[in-house]
Amino acid sequence: MGKWRVGVDSGGTFTDVCMFDETARQVKVWKVSSTPDDPSRGIAQGVEEGLKAYTAVSADAPLTDVAYLGHGTTVATNALIEHRGAKLGLITTQGFRDLLEIGRQKRPSLYDMFAQKPRTLVPRHLRFEVAERLLHDGTVDIALDEAAVRAAAKSMAKLQVEAVAICFLYAFVNPAHEARAAEIVAHELPDVFICTSHEIAPEFREFERLSTATVNSYLGPIMHRYIKRLSQRFNDLGLVSAPHLTQSNGGVVSFDAAARTPVRSVLSGPSTGVVAAEVIGLQAGYRDIITFDMGGTSSDVALMRGGHTTQANEAVVHGYPIKAPMLDIHTVGAGGGSIAHIDTGGFLKVGPRSAGADPGPVCYGRGNHEPTVTDANIVLQVLNPTHILGGRLQIHRDLAVRAMQVMADRLGLGVMETAQGIISVVTANMARAIRVISVQRGHDPRNYALMAFGGAGPLHAVRLAQELDIGKVFIPRNPGTLCAMGLLLTDLRANFSVTRLTPITADHVDDLSHSLQAVATQANAWFDGEGIAQDAQRVILSIDIRYEGQNYELSIPVHTVALTAAVVADTITRFEAEHSRMYGFIAEGEKINAVTFRAEAIGLVDKADLPERPMAGPDPQPAKIGQRDVWFPETENFTPSLIYSRDMMTPGMILPGPAVIEQMDTTTLVPPGWTATVDRFENLIMEIA
Amino acid sequence: MTQHDRSPLAPRPVSLDPITIEVIGSALASIVDETGEALVRASYSTNIKERRDCSTALFDREGRTLCQAEHIPIHLGSFIEFVPKILAEHVLEDIRAGDVFIGNDAYAGGGTHLPDIVLAEPIFIDASLVAWTVNLAHHSDFADRAHAHIYQEGLRIPPIRLYRESVVNKDVLDLILLNCQVPRERLSDLRAQMAANRVGVRRFTDLCARHGTQTVLAAGDALLDYAERKMRAGLAALPDGTYRFEDIFDNLDWPEALPLAVDITISGDEITLQFDAPPQVRAGINMTYTALLATTYYIVKSVVDPTILPNAGLARPITVKAPKGSVVNCAHPAAVNGRVQTCQRVSDLILGAMAQAVPERVSACTNSACTVAVFAGTREAGPQKDTLWVYLETIGGGGGARPNADGLDGIHVHATNTSNLPIEALEVEYPLILMKYELVDGSAGAGTYRGGMGLRRVYRATEDCRIRIDITRLQQGSWGLMGGGRGGTSRIVPGPGVAPFDMGDGVLKAGQWFEIISPGGGGYGDPANRAPQTIADDARDQITCAAM
Repeated sequence: MGKWRVGVDSGGTFTDVCMFDETARQVKVWKVSSTPDDPSRGIAQGVEEGLKAYTAVSADAPLTDVAYLGHGTTVATNALIEHRGAKLGLITTQGFRDLLEIGRQKRPSLYDMFAQKPRTLVPRHLRFEVAERLLHDGTVDIALDEAAVRAAAKSMAKLQVEAVAICFLYAFVNPAHEARAAEIVAHELPDVFICTSHEIAPEFREFERLSTATVNSYLGPIMHRYIKRLSQRFNDLGLVSAPHLTQSNGGVVSFDAAARTPVRSVLSGPSTGVVAAEVIGLQAGYRDIITFDMGGTSSDVALMRGGHTTQANEAVVHGYPIKAPMLDIHTVGAGGGSIAHIDTGGFLKVGPRSAGADPGPVCYGRGNHEPTVTDANIVLQVLNPTHILGGRLQIHRDLAVRAMQVMADRLGLGVMETAQGIISVVTANMARAIRVISVQRGHDPRNYALMAFGGAGPLHAVRLAQELDIGKVFIPRNPGTLCAMGLLLTDLRANFSVTRLTPITADHVDDLSHSLQAVATQANAWFDGEGIAQDAQRVILSIDIRYEGQNYELSIPVHTVALTAAVVADTITRFEAEHSRMYGFIAEGEKINAVTFRAEAIGLVDKADLPERPMAGPDPQPAKIGQRDVWFPETENFTPSLIYSRDMMTPGMILPGPAVIEQMDTTTLVPPGWTATVDRFENLIMEIA
Repeated sequence: MTQHDRSPLAPRPVSLDPITIEVIGSALASIVDETGEALVRASYSTNIKERRDCSTALFDREGRTLCQAEHIPIHLGSFIEFVPKILAEHVLEDIRAGDVFIGNDAYAGGGTHLPDIVLAEPIFIDASLVAWTVNLAHHSDFADRAHAHIYQEGLRIPPIRLYRESVVNKDVLDLILLNCQVPRERLSDLRAQMAANRVGVRRFTDLCARHGTQTVLAAGDALLDYAERKMRAGLAALPDGTYRFEDIFDNLDWPEALPLAVDITISGDEITLQFDAPPQVRAGINMTYTALLATTYYIVKSVVDPTILPNAGLARPITVKAPKGSVVNCAHPAAVNGRVQTCQRVSDLILGAMAQAVPERVSACTNSACTVAVFAGTREAGPQKDTLWVYLETIGGGGGARPNADGLDGIHVHATNTSNLPIEALEVEYPLILMKYELVDGSAGAGTYRGGMGLRRVYRATEDCRIRIDITRLQQGSWGLMGGGRGGTSRIVPGPGVAPFDMGDGVLKAGQWFEIISPGGGGYGDPANRAPQTIADDARDQITCAAM
């Protein structure tokens, strides 16, 4: 076995590599430019260069010493956004080929009559109907017309489709027709990617299940090619261990599994950052955290309660409904590059337009004249007014001030008040996103710590905390590379579900146990398939429960497949408590039904254990690198503030605000009235003084 | 809508900067989103839990909309007079925390039709009433009725207390439930509506605690002014003039087609809409004045500036006139149950007039319908045997072609925007089987950009049931613009052995089926200018347009 654990996160601009030296127990970071034409090139190069920078590697097999490799990619996500998926055919129940286009029949915007629906991924001539029909209890109303399936497959072969989705009504109750159709198609089209709806999303609501199967097939061939190319490169570099890919649920799976279910990775981008936040938070003693990942164009927020990030089973991704296990991450189009403008009613708005990396904010001096959130921070001198990115980028504060003056004149405010106004408005936008994942789910944000990361998170964290009455803000040691870090901290994870409407009563204990056993069996089969050792296996069971007549369920964990009357009674009690917390009432006397039975299978992976450093004195003087005047709304004036280097800070230091902490990939603001302390893991904890 | 620019109840001395107002505006929008989500998730009827036929809003103490969630525009019609009616009928000093008012009536309660039941709860801070949280759910009940006048349409409920200081008024509740065909569903949905209001009270109270009540109320006023400024700015950018449009409104409630007309006058930053319509009829298609206002505000906002905040301020530059006692401004005791067809037609009427002023900013005529199918029967099997069942659904149709794009296929337009019920939920809940659900070939209006396609739904009954269909555009398809063609018409097609529907009323025996076809949208621009590649794609995808 080797001695390095490697996480490589490949984004649009940079590929981040996080390496954990198992012997020295140290984390190293390497960054290279991404290679969008063939991302596998940048990835391979990044890992090779990174290892070479810190250790002696063999020239012909530089990755031999890698014991574990986890990889996060946006290949599937980008293919969906840019509509670069496969040429795809669909086979569906007779009478319903247009369902994919009709969707839920709602228009995309209530008031904007120019809004467009997302493009249908399968054009009409590639959607084939076959005679077959099941009823809601799974009985056959019309038998499958196998000849029609074969004919459809032959037509698709002529039209040279690369993938086929198969979705029939009620396939989640009785998969026989879908399974048989898949066999026929596989026979006719042996080299084509096939996905059936009951395999990828065995749950009710036909349009969402159909959409999921379609997106999976659309991305299947793309992911296959990507993984094949990347595996080849890793082989060539001498990688011996099996590489893993991240999923939207924050876990990783083998490359083979990932290639079969690309739809489960489309929201994986921000998920490993959240996983890292979870681990880093728990290690530091925080079990209830709201994560806040702010980048250039958008921000992602998620909620972790009792040490677990809340999960969701459904989301709409770029207009396409997807049923897949995922961390419940909410995204809002507000980032450092978001552009401020005054609307026709005279109010200041920020976003959703972004200045991007080019031309970038006004202060970059590349021709943009519309002030952004970053410009506001430059004007206020919260950000270094001459250079950022560790001195690599020159800043033109005068240009930002001039642009801000134009806006201030129109608003009838001062330049500084306007700049601070931009911060307030963007903070309000982000607070709204956090309310969606907290108050709207019955959680009071005041009981949580805010963990900020991403390039702009630490800069805005305290302002956001103030807006939400959060008293504690947490900044991890390396906020800019948390996603790559998360790849070193996550486990193998897969989710299994079965939908069987069952009354939750003592009379149905056997039925309930049987359904739980069914998903547990699937989990065990997965453990075997992935070769996960017995002592690394964990299964988390839950049942989605609702009152009879409702259509939205609450997920209630259970701890055993062998239910008893007592366990059932306890499950009902916990359902009622959750219902009361969410909706404020319990429907006394109403029947309670189990709907979906779920198993989350976890294969524990040896992880990087983050190093602890000895506590030293509270005096921050050794980390001080300067002083500048920063404008604060608290003082309504420029106030002398000390500037510290994050790299020179040691555990135990206490920094009273106002202060600014600079590091290569981010800047942290400690406003007046707040104090920052460094904990033994070098995290920064900010609290009201 | 009654507008008090200066409230007699309390002066608001706080002066605010635009940034604080924006921050509070965001928080108000969060609150109505959250109450809407709470309502849907806790509800029981398919019409709410899946089709989301409900709305939530916050009102200031005088009953002016502070913020309405983006749900169903027509529901604003029920909201705008509700709180003023409460204040008119009840002694202000006697309204207490925990009181919940219920109402649905088109004349005594400001409603637009009886199934839309509104629940309003006052919000008190330091013992004074500062705002209202209000929500509406369309209860699929009062089915299989006559519609000659409102007394035939269901139970009329004026704004009365369902709860007094958080204690349910059981007498009122029992009276209401006895008048409903599916009382269990009604009770459950009312409970969800209650839960939503509780959330609204809690969140608004928190907001006031955080920013100060006076600041929040002043921000509320300022947000109304803000919406007004944006509406005025948008109107000022439109060419002054008077624009007239006429259309014929056919439907299954009334045997004769009704001529409707509007004259729109844009003058500076104000707009006046003068409607002309026949006297109200003994059928369910009459619109109350509040329904006319809600429809007008919706479509004017859509054309002028879709980003204007949906609050009462946007109405200030808009004047709406219509003859009292007419189909579009009805008086007691006119029946109103099917008013949504009229609302849709009025929306398209306004589009047609605005097209003369700003053809580049409007679509061609939408399908003009909110096609409604109501099924009712007595359960013949299962645990609920012998109880009544009612299932209501609405079916989308074609959107109008746009100046730069085809119309959207199979969507809800204008005053409504409900979801379909998943087939896999429908067939579990009701004795119906859906045999077909598809876009209708030949229904799109031809054009450089074609209109959206209508929908076909084919239903088979597994138990005997009665059916009521509300639909329009049976005679003449939706109009095109700038040389675009008309969309396809709607129709009801009975299956073998099914008697022809009588003005939208039909009966199915177990095993029988019938189909509904909703209308398509009008085209935009001369079909001869359609891009050759698009024509080839249409042919490949078997999409044909309606004959010109």
